[in-house]
Amino acid sequence: MDKVIEIKELSRHFATAKPVKGVNFSVDTGEFITLLGPSGSGKSTLLAMIAGLDKASSGQVILKGQDLARLSEDELALFRRDHVGFVFQSFQLIPTLTALENIILPLYPVKMTNQEKRARAKTLLEQVGLHGKENNLPTRLSGGEQQRVAIARALINQPDIIFCDEPTGNLDSATSNEIINLLLELNQQSQVTIFMVTHDPNIAKISHRSLYMKDGEVSLP
Amino acid sequence: MINSRYIFAELLTRKGRTFTNTLLTATATAIIIFSGLATGALQKAFQAPLADLGATMTIQLSGDVPEKMNGPVLPCSVAPINEIQIQQITTLNGIQSTSPAILFWDFQDDAFQVVTGFDPLDQSGPALLQQTMVSGRRLTGGHHQQALADLTWATDQGIKVGNTVKIADRDFEIIGLVDSSRLSQIARAQFYISLTTARDIASKSTGINKIHTFGANDANILFIRADRDKTEDLTISVKMILGKNSLIATPQSFQKLLGSMFTLTQRFASLIAALAVIIALVLISRTTASGIRERSGDITILKTIGWTNSEIGRQLAAESLVLISTGTAAGIIIGLSGGWLLSLFSIAIPIPWDMAPTPHFLAGGDAQLTRAVQLSLPPAFKLIMLATVSALIIGLTTTIISSRAIGRLKPSEVLRNG
Repeated sequence: MDKVIEIKELSRHFATAKPVKGVNFSVDTGEFITLLGPSGSGKSTLLAMIAGLDKASSGQVILKGQDLARLSEDELALFRRDHVGFVFQSFQLIPTLTALENIILPLYPVKMTNQEKRARAKTLLEQVGLHGKENNLPTRLSGGEQQRVAIARALINQPDIIFCDEPTGNLDSATSNEIINLLLELNQQSQVTIFMVTHDPNIAKISHRSLYMKDGEVSLP
Repeated sequence: MINSRYIFAELLTRKGRTFTNTLLTATATAIIIFSGLATGALQKAFQAPLADLGATMTIQLSGDVPEKMNGPVLPCSVAPINEIQIQQITTLNGIQSTSPAILFWDFQDDAFQVVTGFDPLDQSGPALLQQTMVSGRRLTGGHHQQALADLTWATDQGIKVGNTVKIADRDFEIIGLVDSSRLSQIARAQFYISLTTARDIASKSTGINKIHTFGANDANILFIRADRDKTEDLTISVKMILGKNSLIATPQSFQKLLGSMFTLTQRFASLIAALAVIIALVLISRTTASGIRERSGDITILKTIGWTNSEIGRQLAAESLVLISTGTAAGIIIGLSGGWLLSLFSIAIPIPWDMAPTPHFLAGGDAQLTRAVQLSLPPAFKLIMLATVSALIIGLTTTIISSRAIGRLKPSEVLRNG
């Protein structure tokens, strides 16, 4: 199996805190990995560094063979656009855009015909079960529907990896199951790698592998 | 690539900010255009009394009051300007032409009349009155006993072309009628004769020469055509030639007669326009900065999903451009509409008594003469360009502010927002 993520002696420290301390692990292409741990254990800081949203203080993050430390801020943005998708706890949709427009959003700056962008977004909208809701603003969608839009947005650029930060944290249990099943389905059908930060041990059980983080260090449970 | 749907979605959803910024830009633009049009219209109005007679300025010299109001006298208190002084003025730098004229009162036993003598060949001054001729023929140069009569006066007195009238105890044939009310009130008289004849009358008049020495080539009012940007310098030079008794009328002096409000309007129009732009710039910059803060969540999302700083900057700049363009267009329409409303008004420019004198003891002699001038607007193209450039400066500033604010936002903030 190809390694899609390689983390080597990764650390992040601030003036008074060291939330990530010498972390090492790797993730294979197509894996569904969960990262568990109590609040304040450094999960979000680690996720930010792995996903190229924040710079490491030391160590290496190699994503799809690319050492992220060597990329500038704009190069990192373009790398995320080409290879990474994100799903967040609070959905993070643009409130002024419709469901379909939110899905297309990562492609707005990309040179591609509008027809192609819309066609790709419509296919994903149907794939996540939101047929007929393309013109709804986020405020007119339920939490589960908004998260589906966020998942479709994460897939629009056909990423290699999707990073999820507690994607079911704001959903009831029935909706949470639907979202997790959708992500599992995508993982199995598209072989997209999923790296998910969660508090939910039930999700950890159905993932391929779980990592446990405590006091800035990662261990296998 | 800039997405227009995203631009309009943002502008239409955040109505308060959109409205505020559009209104501020429109206000600044409208003020620039309106104040420019108002200033230009007033400047043209102040030039009108002199421009009617093809002149940029008039020059007179004040002198002593006649001892007796009998026969031809110079209106009190206008003194002759001698030939040498006329020559000195004519050769001043900036003077294009000089048209001397003579304005005198003619007291007769049972009548009083105002007479103006001018050279019919002049290109400025009372010679232009002949353009308002309603009947008869024009005056010719040289010494002769022919006169033109003012239409209103002639109608009142029953004078017709071909009649003979007495001026300075001499017989004059009325060869034409002019409607001098259609032009400036300056040097307006009941009868108009040739300058040569008027000089002959003035230089031989005992009444005039009792207190003045009126030379054969003197005059008592000069109509000057000069470079407009040199009138202030010329005023100083003429005062040096004629002394402190000189009376010089320029567009600026007409403006002063209208009082401080017009002077303030003129003087502070540019300042008001500049202040409007600065205030709009500061307020729009603040609104933009608060807008970036308000949208910081959205901007970090865009960064997270792969938009570069410059792509986000371009998108926000395009939003700014739409706002500024809308505001500028609205401001231009409002400013031009205001200017059009202004052009419906006219102002009454007071004519100094020395320039259209009627003795105080005669009916209407102490009434203030005015020239009603319909305000006419100057071309607005330069003002529109100035307003557009100002608006572009506002837009550019807000774009720079936006770009700097965008650069400071970290994509990892998105995780803190959940």
